[in-house]
Amino acid sequence: MTKMNATISLIVLMSLTLTSVFIGFFMSDGILLNNGLEIWLILITIIIKGQQIVDIFMELKCAPRLWRALLLSYVIIIPIIIGLIYWV
Amino acid sequence: MSDMNSFMQTIDKPRPMETHTINKKLPGDLAMWFFILAELTVFAILFITFAVTRQLHPTMFIEGQSQLHPIAGIINTLSLICSSYFIVLSVDAIKNGLNLKARNNIIIALLIASIYVVTKLWEYNMLSDAGFGISTNTFFMLYFFITFFHFMHVLLGMIILMFIANKSSQAKYQKNNTAGFESGVCYWHMVDLVWIILFPLIYIIA
Repeated sequence: MTKMNATISLIVLMSLTLTSVFIGFFMSDGILLNNGLEIWLILITIIIKGQQIVDIFMELKCAPRLWRALLLSYVIIIPIIIGLIYWV
Repeated sequence: MSDMNSFMQTIDKPRPMETHTINKKLPGDLAMWFFILAELTVFAILFITFAVTRQLHPTMFIEGQSQLHPIAGIINTLSLICSSYFIVLSVDAIKNGLNLKARNNIIIALLIASIYVVTKLWEYNMLSDAGFGISTNTFFMLYFFITFFHFMHVLLGMIILMFIANKSSQAKYQKNNTAGFESGVCYWHMVDLVWIILFPLIYIIA
């Protein structure tokens, strides 16, 4: 894993963290976003952040497909389940 | 004809990408990955429990969330992410046989991770002073249980990082023998992975 990839990943992770905070605290008043859209946007940031950690930080991009799929499915399925619970 | 032979030899050689595909290797020990999967499963159950309970008691959870300190959550998130970044740099160093550089990066990562520890303890103290505890209501019971459970994992991760930093300073890792190092590192990233779901779930989504 190159230092450049890790640095880009760090910037992505920090940006998405601040974006999710912005969405959660400043856009969830029902004026800009409603119908639970802000929840789904926050959950999408979780999925992207999870993918960055799994592929870049854990270096599973170069690992056997099964293990990468297991970890990636975790960061995709859990936010979707949470989203569905909040949506129902 | 010789040009043709040369061409055939060139395309017969495995290209870097192909070699890379063939040599797919799981970082660290297999046992650590089973342990990580088990830990992630436990946290997944806790996350789903929190989400379901929130739907059953929405008012209680919204009131409870308003008592939390989101700035502390943001600081914790950034500290864990930055800490993981330096851990990635340490892996890069150890793979190049630079044990001391790896150790230094781990020490930086530990210092940044200690920001998480201090902030979390400060937050617990603030909530305790305000009269909130594990028996206050269902929200605070789940909040304290999930965050403290994660806090314990952070402490264990830091102990593991100290252990591999110590071994690095003794130059015990070689270029071709980094499985132990990678196992500890992957555990730390697991702690990070859990927090990036935990933070929005508890602090942000209201």
